[in-house]
Amino acid sequence: MNTTALSRDSVRHRNLMWLIAGCVVLAAAPHVMPNAYWMRIFCISGVYVMLALGLNVVAGFAGLLDLAYVAFFGVGGYTFALLSSEQFGIHLPFLLVLPAAALVSMVCGFALGATSVRLKGDYLAIVTLAFAQIFKLLLLNLDRPVNITGGVNGIYNFDMIRIFGLKIFTPAAYAYLIWGAALLAIVGSVRIKSSRYGRGWQAIREDELAAAATGVNTAWMKLTAFAGGAMVAGAAGAIFASFQDSVFPNNFDFQQLVMVYCMVILGGMGNVPGVVAGAVLLTILPEFLREYGAYRMMSYGVILVMLMVLRPKGLLSSIPFLQKSRTRPDKETTGRLQASTDLYYRKQRREKSTSTYQKGDKPLLVLEGVSRRFGGITAISGLDLTLFEREILSVIGPNGAGKTTLFNLISGIIPPSQGRILLNGADITGHRPDQVVRAGVARTFQNLRLFNGMSVRDNTRVGRFCRTRSGPLSILFNLPRHRKEERETMERTREILHLFGARLTGYRFDQDAGSLSYANRRRVEIARAMATGAKILLLDEPAAGMNPQETDEITEFILTLRDRYGYTILLIEHKLGLVRTISDRVVVLDSGGKITEGHYRDVAKNPQVIEAYLGTRHQ
Amino acid sequence: MDMFLEQLPQQLVNGITLGGVYALIAIGYSMVYGILSMLNFAHGEVYMIGGFTGWWVLHLLYRENALAMNAVAVIALMVVFAMAVSGILGVLIERVAYRPLRHAPRINLLLSALGVSIFLQNFVLTFQGAKVRSFPVAALVPESLRVIQLGPVVFSFMRVLVIVVCFCLMAGLSIMIKSTKLGKAMRATAQDVETAAFMGVDVDRIIMVVFFIGSALGGAASVLVGLLFTQVDYYAGFAAGLKGFTAAVLGGIGNLYGAMLGGFVLGLSEALAVTFFPAAYKDVVAFVILIAVLILRPWGLMGEKSPEKV
Repeated sequence: MNTTALSRDSVRHRNLMWLIAGCVVLAAAPHVMPNAYWMRIFCISGVYVMLALGLNVVAGFAGLLDLAYVAFFGVGGYTFALLSSEQFGIHLPFLLVLPAAALVSMVCGFALGATSVRLKGDYLAIVTLAFAQIFKLLLLNLDRPVNITGGVNGIYNFDMIRIFGLKIFTPAAYAYLIWGAALLAIVGSVRIKSSRYGRGWQAIREDELAAAATGVNTAWMKLTAFAGGAMVAGAAGAIFASFQDSVFPNNFDFQQLVMVYCMVILGGMGNVPGVVAGAVLLTILPEFLREYGAYRMMSYGVILVMLMVLRPKGLLSSIPFLQKSRTRPDKETTGRLQASTDLYYRKQRREKSTSTYQKGDKPLLVLEGVSRRFGGITAISGLDLTLFEREILSVIGPNGAGKTTLFNLISGIIPPSQGRILLNGADITGHRPDQVVRAGVARTFQNLRLFNGMSVRDNTRVGRFCRTRSGPLSILFNLPRHRKEERETMERTREILHLFGARLTGYRFDQDAGSLSYANRRRVEIARAMATGAKILLLDEPAAGMNPQETDEITEFILTLRDRYGYTILLIEHKLGLVRTISDRVVVLDSGGKITEGHYRDVAKNPQVIEAYLGTRHQ
Repeated sequence: MDMFLEQLPQQLVNGITLGGVYALIAIGYSMVYGILSMLNFAHGEVYMIGGFTGWWVLHLLYRENALAMNAVAVIALMVVFAMAVSGILGVLIERVAYRPLRHAPRINLLLSALGVSIFLQNFVLTFQGAKVRSFPVAALVPESLRVIQLGPVVFSFMRVLVIVVCFCLMAGLSIMIKSTKLGKAMRATAQDVETAAFMGVDVDRIIMVVFFIGSALGGAASVLVGLLFTQVDYYAGFAAGLKGFTAAVLGGIGNLYGAMLGGFVLGLSEALAVTFFPAAYKDVVAFVILIAVLILRPWGLMGEKSPEKV
């Protein structure tokens, strides 16, 4: 505990040092620029830093390929242009126009997100591309019948901006304004990345369905990603418009978008310092290649392909100090390495205790006549099922019996065609997966759906998403409420992971889930489900792919979950040894219907069950 | 209304020609999507380069005063050259930019495709300039044949030719896919790449063939558009690509006949829309259809709804 508290402090120290150093460099920079040309590049690179960070929210964190992003930059620019120029004779102060531009952009982002939130990958890309085209068509053609956008000629000659009486018109003043805003964007990005929002977005990027089944409201989170990115782009647009003193449709076309994408990819999607470095680098570098101007866009194309093929994590992510610091196994505080199995068993022996909880009589989860059809196939038909408080109920049956469909129905991934599902007496039929999790039912997946690119710790922390409430504002301003929730999230995560002993603790905290062994990944899935705070766990083949020793271990562990921590467990399992050891009751499914239920002893002797598993004997 | 009715037959003809071309482009998207489930962003650019190839062939013949040749032969030459160049380009793109990423996350593949598209567009811009190249069609077709009057409808020779070529290419492709061994292998690969590989299908080769055919059809479409509207420029692939994709999605992406149907539906809608909206917003029709289909019926007219496996 002490060591981690210490390391957290040192991380905060390091970040603060970076911030101060950055401020000093940025404050000095405008005064050492050799000429107006470089001053301009310095300012523009700040605008691109903002733009790239905004795109990093949508494409980097949330993994949404938003090709309309540059339109939000344009919306911001044109909002500024219309609200502080002769175009309509409106002259609002900059301190009002800047938030207005950001807000208008954000609303547009919300609207775009709302229409396309159900689309995935390629479809999303193409729809947003179409939106971007429509936006450009509007900019070009809305000079008739009423002149709004000025058509090809754009809008120019804006009011000089004043901030608290300070006139901003020298390049140096713009440099301060732009980089001040960029700095805010950097701090905001860092903060949001390591918050519940950042983790929620990353979870969606890694596996949207698993994110929903872990309690992340995916539709809302995708909307906020769109809106958040759009807001940053809108603000950048307003500042850019003022700096350039004009806006043209060409400022916001596809080429700009490609450049910003290159910046984000070069830096490594989602990697904040990398993206900042990428933005600065790709603003300055082309200036040296000015003579080869015609080849510039061509080289962007080549850069994109080469990065994707050779270095999909970005060029800059291989620079050590831009990487996340990780606890390495050889740097464990104990000073020596031990086989994780030994540690596990030693701990288990020490903590062996009597059970505090037993099966109760109160029905917790009730299915009434639930059916589900896929086209002509009935996967589940008229199923009644009751799960009692603190019960361990096993569902068995041959392949295709409808076991996994049953889990999908309960966890809200697919709605039932008929019937009701009640939790604690309340109807949860047709609820979204994240609502079901919040109501208290969490699940694991048969074919493992972890967030493979995230650490064990972060995988588990995503589970806490539905139990924390801090919004973007309290995260960005680092309000006490957010800090408190983060602390609690960390503590709870640690507690849960410690239940698995050295299997998931120590250096494994920081390992990517994708790099773990099969059995350990199963454990992380259980840990993630536990972290949601749900008291009912649906475990889909928790022992699949485990060797006999590991199976014994997980059997023991599931029993502990009930006996010591009072969880209620519904599990699907093919290993009948495990089922026999831990089940209070067993339900046998075949062809979507229940054959029988009861104690394992009785079920195992039931002739129908024997027939379902082994077939009938030829007489 | 009267004016609308008066224009209707003419617009129908225009719509069918346009639709045939869109269908050819859409087939390229759909075939690739059917096998790799990826959106080939570079398809529009392959189309554009096919158009330039056709223009180049025509231009050379024109300069050599060889246009006295039979017009049909010249056009056949243009189409064949364009198909060859586009097809080879498509195969190259697959080899360099997509194959290494076949097992990578989807977003990487898409970005790589985007990169190819940007590269090709700017490659042409750099070496060809932003000039619009016009097809000297007038010198190609004898004046007596240029228009065919049929009641109130005026067919241009080119439109008839375009429709014929479109139908021939589509019929050829259908026959190939239905009744040759290669076609069977392609269908198997589209169903399940891994299983096809286990059954002895050389999947890499099939993917190459698919890219070749899809891209070649795009190239042919581009030449046909060039003959109809007599021009091509470096930016032509963008709009054409979006329209082709719209047609593919409209019909149900991955479904060959869906792509054909989608092409014609889109072509007719656009032709009819021109009578109602200002021409500047013509492209918006396609975008609106695209967005509406994707949101309301993402599996398209003929596609199948496939829920995600859990």
